[in-house]
Order: sequence, then C-alpha cells, then structure tokens
Amino acid sequence: MKPFGYTAVRDTGEAVRLASRTPDAAFVAGGTDLLNLMKDGVARPGHLIDVNGLDLAEVTETPAGLRIGGLARMRAVAGHAAVRRGWPVLAEALLASASPQVRNMASIGGNLLQRTRCGYFRDTGSPCNKRVPGSGCPAVEGWNRGHAVLGGSDACIATHPSDLAVALLALDAVVRVRGTAGERKVPIGDFYLRPGATPHVENVLRPAELITAVEVPRSATARRSRYLKLRDRATFEFAVVSVAAAVDLRGRRVRDVRLAFGGIGTTPWRSPEAEAALRGNDLTAESVARAGRALVRDAEPRHDNEFKVELVQRALAELLEELR
Amino acid sequence: MAEHTRRTVLKSAAVTAGGAALAARAPAAAGAAAVSIQPAQTAEITLSVNGRRRAVSVETRVTLLDALRERLGLTGTKKGCDRGECGACTVLVDGERVKSCLTLAVMRQGSEITTVEGLADGDRLHPVQEAFIRHDAFQCGGCTPGQIMSAVACIEEGHTGSDEEIRQWMSGNLCRCACYQNIVAAVADAAGEVRR
Amino acid sequence: MTELVGRSVARVDGRAKVTGAARYAADQPVPGALQAFFVLSTVARGEVVSIDASAALAHPGVVAVLTHRDLPRLTVPAFPYFRRFLPMQDTAVHHVGQPVAIVLATTVEQAQEGAALVAVGYRAAQPRVVIEDAREPSYLPPPFRNLPNEIRRGDAETALAGAEVRLEARYSSATRHHNPIEPHTTTAQWDGDRLTLHESAQGVLATRTVVSAAFGLPPEAVRVVAPYLGGGFGAKGPVWPHTVLTAAAARVLRRPVRLVLSRAQMYTLTGHRAEYRQHLRIGATRTGELTSIIETSTAQLSATEESVFNRSDSTVELYACPNLHVRYEGVRLDVATSSYMRSPETTSHFGLETALDELSWQLGIDPLELRRRNHAEFDQETGERLTGKHLLDCYALAADRFGWAARLPRTGATKDGDEYVGWGMATETHTFNAMPSTASVTVGVDGKALAQLATQDIGTGTYTVISQIVADALGVPITDVQAQIGDSALPPAGMSVASATIASISGSVDQAARAARAAVVDLAVADPSSALFGAAASEVETSNGHLVHVRDRQRRDTYRAVVGRAGRPVQRTATVLNKAGHSYGVVFVEARVHARLGSVRVTRVVTAHDIGRVMNRRTARGQVLGGVTWGIGHALMEHTVFDRNIGRVVNPNLSTYLVPVNADAPPVVETLFVDKPDPASTAMGARGFGETPITGVPAAIGNAIYHATGRRVRDLPITQDKLL
Repeated sequence: MKPFGYTAVRDTGEAVRLASRTPDAAFVAGGTDLLNLMKDGVARPGHLIDVNGLDLAEVTETPAGLRIGGLARMRAVAGHAAVRRGWPVLAEALLASASPQVRNMASIGGNLLQRTRCGYFRDTGSPCNKRVPGSGCPAVEGWNRGHAVLGGSDACIATHPSDLAVALLALDAVVRVRGTAGERKVPIGDFYLRPGATPHVENVLRPAELITAVEVPRSATARRSRYLKLRDRATFEFAVVSVAAAVDLRGRRVRDVRLAFGGIGTTPWRSPEAEAALRGNDLTAESVARAGRALVRDAEPRHDNEFKVELVQRALAELLEELR
Repeated sequence: MAEHTRRTVLKSAAVTAGGAALAARAPAAAGAAAVSIQPAQTAEITLSVNGRRRAVSVETRVTLLDALRERLGLTGTKKGCDRGECGACTVLVDGERVKSCLTLAVMRQGSEITTVEGLADGDRLHPVQEAFIRHDAFQCGGCTPGQIMSAVACIEEGHTGSDEEIRQWMSGNLCRCACYQNIVAAVADAAGEVRR
Repeated sequence: MTELVGRSVARVDGRAKVTGAARYAADQPVPGALQAFFVLSTVARGEVVSIDASAALAHPGVVAVLTHRDLPRLTVPAFPYFRRFLPMQDTAVHHVGQPVAIVLATTVEQAQEGAALVAVGYRAAQPRVVIEDAREPSYLPPPFRNLPNEIRRGDAETALAGAEVRLEARYSSATRHHNPIEPHTTTAQWDGDRLTLHESAQGVLATRTVVSAAFGLPPEAVRVVAPYLGGGFGAKGPVWPHTVLTAAAARVLRRPVRLVLSRAQMYTLTGHRAEYRQHLRIGATRTGELTSIIETSTAQLSATEESVFNRSDSTVELYACPNLHVRYEGVRLDVATSSYMRSPETTSHFGLETALDELSWQLGIDPLELRRRNHAEFDQETGERLTGKHLLDCYALAADRFGWAARLPRTGATKDGDEYVGWGMATETHTFNAMPSTASVTVGVDGKALAQLATQDIGTGTYTVISQIVADALGVPITDVQAQIGDSALPPAGMSVASATIASISGSVDQAARAARAAVVDLAVADPSSALFGAAASEVETSNGHLVHVRDRQRRDTYRAVVGRAGRPVQRTATVLNKAGHSYGVVFVEARVHARLGSVRVTRVVTAHDIGRVMNRRTARGQVLGGVTWGIGHALMEHTVFDRNIGRVVNPNLSTYLVPVNADAPPVVETLFVDKPDPASTAMGARGFGETPITGVPAAIGNAIYHATGRRVRDLPITQDKLL
C-alpha cells in the first residue's frame, strides 16, 4: 500500500469539505473493499477520510418508507424487523452477500460503491480499461465466465458485484448524496453508468460526494419481494446470476412488478421489457417465459458466459414461482 | 509494554498536536475534534486488546491484523489471505466478529479487541475452545483461531438454532483441512454450554 | 491399562492450537529480521531487460532491492527440488509470477509497497499456457525417478479389438491449487556458514537437503524448524525457489530475513495439480469382466520440468485386467511447474471410476457388482496374492450402511421437491510411501517421556499418534509423554508427503519406546533399593507410570523413582523401515441436482476404508471428512484459470478460486473402517491413509449426478452451467 494520510471526521460537512480540498482523498467506512483495492495497488489514495464517526448509521421506518443511513452496516439492515417485514428482498440480498464478518463491517454506502470482481481489473499485471483507461480489455477475448451479457462495450464487460444494489433497483430506491454544494437525490436506476468508452467512470457521484442515505419507498411490490442468488458454491461468493423480484399480485394477475438482475449486466440490471411482459397479465409459465426472453433479447454472450442467457431465465422463472 | 491510560493518550495527543506533526485519534467519547495523521508518519496509538491497553507505533497503512501480529506479538490471529476471503484473521471488535485484515489499526482506537489469546480465563479454556478439542474441530490449526472467534460471535448472535443455521453462519471461515462437520458439532455443543 | 493406540484420542496439540499458543513458522519471533517481498514477472515467457529499483529504494524503510545481479550463483538442487532452474540467477522468464527481484525492508508494508515500485522491463513472447494451445504435440517424458511413463501388460490392442463390449471416453480436469490456509513462509538466519530456517515445510529434512545443496554446504550446516504447519496438502512437500532465495538474500545482507508469500503469489510459486486430459478405452466381457484397458493421459508440463505427477496407479493396479497399456504424456507450456496435490491419483481415478460407471449402465450391471467382479486378488504386476487387502469388506460395510440395495437402476427416478436425487459410488485407493525413520525415546529423571524425531505434524495428528504409541509401549499416561518433532536436528525420519508419515514413523517410535521400557525395567530389577530388585525383567509389567511385579502386585515401583534414582535419563533409539503399499476403500454419495437450475448438493456420504490398523479413530475420521470435502471441491468448483492470451492466472485468490465452505460440506458423513492390522506393515500394522479418502469422491459425485439426471459430465469441475 502506498502511504496515505488519515483523518477521522466527526461532521458530514467537514468530511466533504476535506475531501474536496485534499487531492487523491477517499472516504473509508467499513474498508472491506477499499483496503483490498489498496493492497492490490488498484486504488492508491493519498488520504483516507474515516467517516465512521458520522451520525449516518440509523435505519428508520417513515410513513414514506425506509431511510437507511449510508453508514448503516449490512448486518444491521438485514436484521432490522421493518426491513424484513416490508422489504424482504433487501434483507435477503444482504444476507446472501459476503460473510458474517464482512456484513458486520461493511456500510451500505460502501457496498454500493464496491468495485467489480473482474480478475483483470484486480490484477495490476493485466491490462484493464477500467483501471488504466486505454490499456485494453483482456476479458472480451479471455476468461469471461463471470462477465456481463448485457450492457457491455468493447472496452469493458465487467459486472457490478453488489447484491444490495440489485435489490434496491427492484425497490425504486433513491440514493442521497452530499457534496460541497449540498445534498441531492439520485434514483438508483440513474446511479450506475454503463461502461461505453469510459469504463473507469462507474457512477454519477461527483468528486467529494458522500452517500448519506438510501431511501426506499413503501409499496405493495416491496412487501412481496424476494432475492435469488445462484453461485458455484453454497455461500460466501459473488453472484453468477441473481434476481430480485417484487410483485403485486391480485390472484394470479400481476398488478405491478419490478425485476432486477445481478451477474448479467455491466450495472445492476433492471428490465422494463421483462416487467412489461408480466404487468397486467396472469403469472403463468408462458408469461414468465416471455418475460425471460424479453430480458435477454439484446444479450451479447461471450465465449465462457453464454450459459447465463439460459440460467438467468430459469432463475427468473424459479423466483417468480416462489412468489406466486 | 507500557499500559496507557486514556488520560496519557489524550495528553500525548495534545502534546504532539502542538509540536511534532502527528496526533492520535482520541477515543470516540472524547469529542468532535478531527484527528489527522500525515502520510508515511508513524503514529503512536493505543489499542485495547484482551482487556489491556497497549501502545503501538504504526503507519496508517498497517492493518489491525498486522498490528496484532507484527507489533504486539499476538500471533494467535492468523493471516491466511490478507483479503477477507478466508476468515483466519477473525477477531472480535466491541463484541462483533470482524476480519482484522480488512480494517486499519488507526481506525480501531477506542474499540475493545478480543483475540484468541484473550478467550481463556487463566488456565480455564472458553467453552468454544473446549468444544473444538472435544469434537476434533481442527487439523492443521491454521484457520482455528479465526473459526473459534467466529464461533464465539455466532453463538452470541444467536445463529446456532440448527446445524443448517450454523453451517451458513460459519461459512465466512474456510477450513482447508475441511473439518466442517466437526466444527458444526463443536459450535452446537458450545452454544448449549454458553447458554447454560 | 487400555491401549490408546486404535482409540479415539483427543489431539495432544489441541490446547496449543485453540489458544493461539502454537507458533507456526511466521509466528516465531526473530529480532532484527528484515521483511522480504518478491517482485514477480508479469509476463509468462521472455526475458528481463531492465530493472529500475530507484523508486523502491527511495521508499522509507526499504533497505535493499536484490536482483539476479546481486544474488550469489547457486547450485540448482536435485529432487525434491522440482523446477530444474532457480529464478534470479539470470534474466530468463519461464512462467508468469516468477521472482525477478526481492525487496527488503523494515516492515511488511514497506516491503510490499517497495515491490510495487520496482519497474521491470521485459522482452516478451506469446505464451502458451493451456493444453489446447500447446505448440508441440504431446510426448512421452523420460521416467520420473525410475517410475516409467509407459506401462504395458499383455496385448491390450488385440484384446480390445476382440472384446465383447467396448467403451471409449475422454475425461479432463482443470488446474487446481492447494491453497493451505497458512501461506508459505521462510525465515532465514545465518550464523557464519550455518543457516537456520523457520519454514512452512512438510519435510524438514528434505528442506535441509535442498537448501544445503543450493549453497554447496554440508546438510548439517542447515537447520530447518517447523513445529506446526498450517496445512500443506502437498504444496509444502517440495522445496520451492522462495525458500532458497530468502536464504540467499539473508546471506547477502547479513541480516535475518522473513518472507511470507501473498495468497496470489502462491498461484505461481508453490506448485499445483496440472491440467489433465485422459483418453480411456476399455474392453470387457458381457458379464463385466475387464479384458483390456488402454489409457493415454496428457498433463500440462512447465517449460523447465517434465515430471508427471498425475499418475494412474488405479488404472494399472486397482482391478484385475490382463491386458493394459498406459501412457503418461505431457505437453510443454509456459506455466509454473506443477507437483503433487492431495492424492495426485484423483485426476486419473475420476476417469477410471466414471468409465466403470458408464460400463455398468451399458451392461445393465449394478456398479458395485461390476467392481466386485473385477476385484484384484493378486498384484497385477507381480502376480503375488494381496493378503492384507480387505476391499470387499469395505464394499459390504458401506453398501449396507448406505442402503445401496434400495438403489433404483434408472436415471431421473427419484425427485424430492425441486431436486433430482441420485446415488453414486466409487472405489478409493491411494499408493502410500514409506521412508526409513529413526526415533529416540527418553525417559527423564522425572519419569516423563520424550519422543524425538524429525518428522512433522501437518494437521494429520502425528503428535497425538506418537504420544499414544509411547504411552502404550512404556505404560505411562499420555499426559506424561511429549513428542518433539519438526526440527531437522532431531533423529532423521520420514517427511509428511504421500500419506507416508504414520507408515514411516510408527515402528521406530514403538521400538524405541519398548527399548526404553526394557532399559528402565532392567534398572529396577538390578537396583537393591527397588521393590522389584531381583525379579526377572519378564515378570515386570508397566502401567500408568508404574512398574509392577506380575505375580506379587505389592512389589511395585515407578518410572520416576527408578530413573530418578539412576540419576540420568534413559534414552533409546530405533530405526525401522517400512515399505510402500496401498490403502483401499469405497465411497457412496447421495447428490441432489436442482431440476431447473442445475445446482448440485452432496447431502449424504458413507465411506469404508481398509487402512490396516487404525491408530486413532478420531484423527482418521478427520482425514475422511477432509477427503470428502476436498472431493466436493474437486468435482464441483475448484479450478485455476489461465488467460490464454496473456498467460496470467486470472483467479489467484480465495474469492474466485472457490474452495468449499462449511455450507458445502455434506451434513451427514459416516466413516467406517475395517481396522485389521496389515501383517506386512512394520508400522504396528498401520498403513498410510491420509490421501485415500479423496480419490473416489469426484467420480462418485459425477456418478450420482448421472443417476439423478441422466447427464454425464466428463470435464471437471461440474459447475451448474454444465447441467442446464
């Protein structure tokens, strides 16, 4: 690790001010991803701003929904009674993430900002457009079993690893961020950016902005929501494919539905096309199959990940069957 | 090693703030002042480990794991992967299990840290330690301190309702010798004992 | 007193391991030691053309950056050094992740950052790293240590051509890495021409041999210490370049040096299970008797070493078959050198045991019955009757416990909820080695016993078994026995590879302890102040620390009193040689395959093993549990990925190289043992065993998946995408 300065802050305003005037500064909360990136030489901040002392860790249920502080720990959110009752997909996605130890440490804000697990990105001995813009992408022609079939470009096909983000996408959550110019709200659907020609730009955060909270609206779909995560071992692994589904059913009729996916897109992937195939229709094997086909219509599989096109449709069918 | 009281920590912080260029982060309760350490400087910090306050000199980039092992001589906590992927470095911080390779020592001042060396009560082993021996829940021992710390927390969290639950909640600790069935048995057994 | 050998005895090193008191190699305090970290080649094939260490040397705390220009010229050691070249002796790059510089600094953090700051220039050529991309066709390498790479018996081609039934199949397996939890580590400390190494080693003597040879020193000049090992699985059996290079750096700088490899570095520096392909052709009668086996395997070899480790001992010897032709071929690739990994036979055994399952379906014969019909009563090479082999007993024991008789001989016949349920089985066998071993046992003036020998406990229970043997032989409580091992200065004994430890050392420990007992008894009966004075030595029995006259039990003495009166410890030494052999067994597996998602769970396993005498039921069961879960990893998830274009390992970590977690381990594993002492074994009737229980598991899982779904997967690992 490169030597870096360290400041523990007590006030959010102070945190963003310090970040704005300190070159190469990074916020640290749980540190569970940042420290690995620093050890691997992928991130080389000159100064860490420890935000753990900020008063942003509360999880509160409001009439409008749920407000999760940016510093709330994964464990606290997953175990929160209101979350389990009103937004079960959120608790399930969090419990399917990482390990108990990491869930004790990692913050919600940090979770949303974790970097891809692409092996080329995390290896400074390999080229990578995300790490070193313009250096090339070995994954496109190389090992890409873990990579995206949707939303990729010639420059990058890496997936975003957060299960939480997939769940939040199915819940229409809003990310609150604070910068030197004050606070703003970003719908989670607008938060992540596809790689295009600039895969090193992953989200809409501006320099020195800090995630202060995530707001999750209350809804009928949220109450009937679940997360299915498929992977190559029983647990403690990132998703090969995952599905977050939230449905409002009247009998078999789908009044409303939200579908989001992990492991298949370069960002947490929402599929309005798949939702449209279900909304207003009966939830049947046929309608679910139509939704699956709509989801993968534009899929561009590579050498090692073609199976995801099939697997994600099956995962969707499986989860919707459980929700029926 | 000298045991620092909180007062001496605060005093030394005050002194260095006015003189030399480094300062230690005060315990959380101490107030709102930001604390800052410059790059490549060694900070004198205090960690509370196994009930003792221990002074230690670290750069900011020193993980809690390396502070324990390389600076405080507490080598019971193991470094298996240094990336949070094996669990061998698991310790308790304020009673919660964390991976000590994924946190910086400077971030853990003012916290109460428990390592495998701090579990036994004199010669009397902790029930989890006893159960691990009784159930042969280890072979090489490389992951064992982490398994044991994780097990203590797993019981405390209440995640020992069934073998299946233990299997899930002990999956953050790899055992390459793969004594997993014996680990589950030991955790279940110790959970009963701790509750008694 | 009840004998301890054979019982379920708790590990004597348990307390040290559960309290953190056990000091592993990197835990030993060595004052003044510099911390080392390697700079590894980023290219797979080529040459180092420049090294700029200026930024590293300017980093605070960095003491030196050593390259091939700075290290002394070393001798490339012979076996058990595998690579046939030493890095940092010239500019050649033979594989990705080869050391090109060593950074030495005061702290670990400084050394690691220093290494990141060293700029290395290369002249690189396009590497070839997987079998499919090999430049040259596969070839038959020269024999590895007198073991031939081609074996013929009878006339296999003719027999195959005339066989009533024929089966042909190709099996393959990805590269695997051992991944012990403890990273490889070396701490080197010179005192003039004498070197002490704190080493993560499965063989303290082998390490001494290699390192002394590299420096042109007599073996006695090197002392290797390894009281505890945090897992090896074969990775720490060979001596790898980092050990020699760390010692060289310490010599150049005249300071102690500690190196701990990072997890990622272990994917190119410490061996692996080679990528492997196997082409099997089998001839049989309609009633299932094997008449011919023809096998050609292809293993990934490195640019510098052509040893083949994935040998097919089971194809050659496990079943009765008069005609056989086996070839172990290889292809040269720009990868690091492979070596042995927990049961090297596992790869080839998967093909054989899968092929037999395929044959059983083809013939409509129960797979267990098929194996019974081909049971080898005679050594297939020498024709000698295999008297100590109880494999048929294993079949009977485990099949009964598993309930195999209830198996439905149809695929896809059983569904439970969303999952198809399948049963599979496979025979298990492993060739264990044995090495000459000397042990010394000392009874001190305090009556306590000390056993000393230069073997190791790699987690298999060596400390405990030695203590059991000594306690039994002397007749003292196990708490009065201390075992001291893991130090090359102790009497020479076997290394802990090839399941050899117990088979090698047990006889010498037992004999030394019996000799020490006899010597103490002799002291007692010759001592006028002993109640046993004048008795015949044969009339004295020993139990629980006491020496007792067999007919007049009032006449008694104690070890402590007898040796105490003598005033000096009683020490005896014994050397025993055992011979290599086989352990056998069978594994039955229940696997569940999700009908829609293809995910596999192994839910129930029953094993039975014939390992000669079981020395410690508890630690023996531990080896089975480990082997079963290793088999799950091998069958379902583990694989190392090389990028075919740039030659780098893409998943050198434990989050993308997946090993099983607790939730992957089967909840139910029943471990049965035949437990009949092998009369041919000088190790108190025990045979080597540790690796046997992985060998059949991958095939048993694959066979269960076939039974569940009708899908035959011949390429490992069986990830869920192969079952969609």
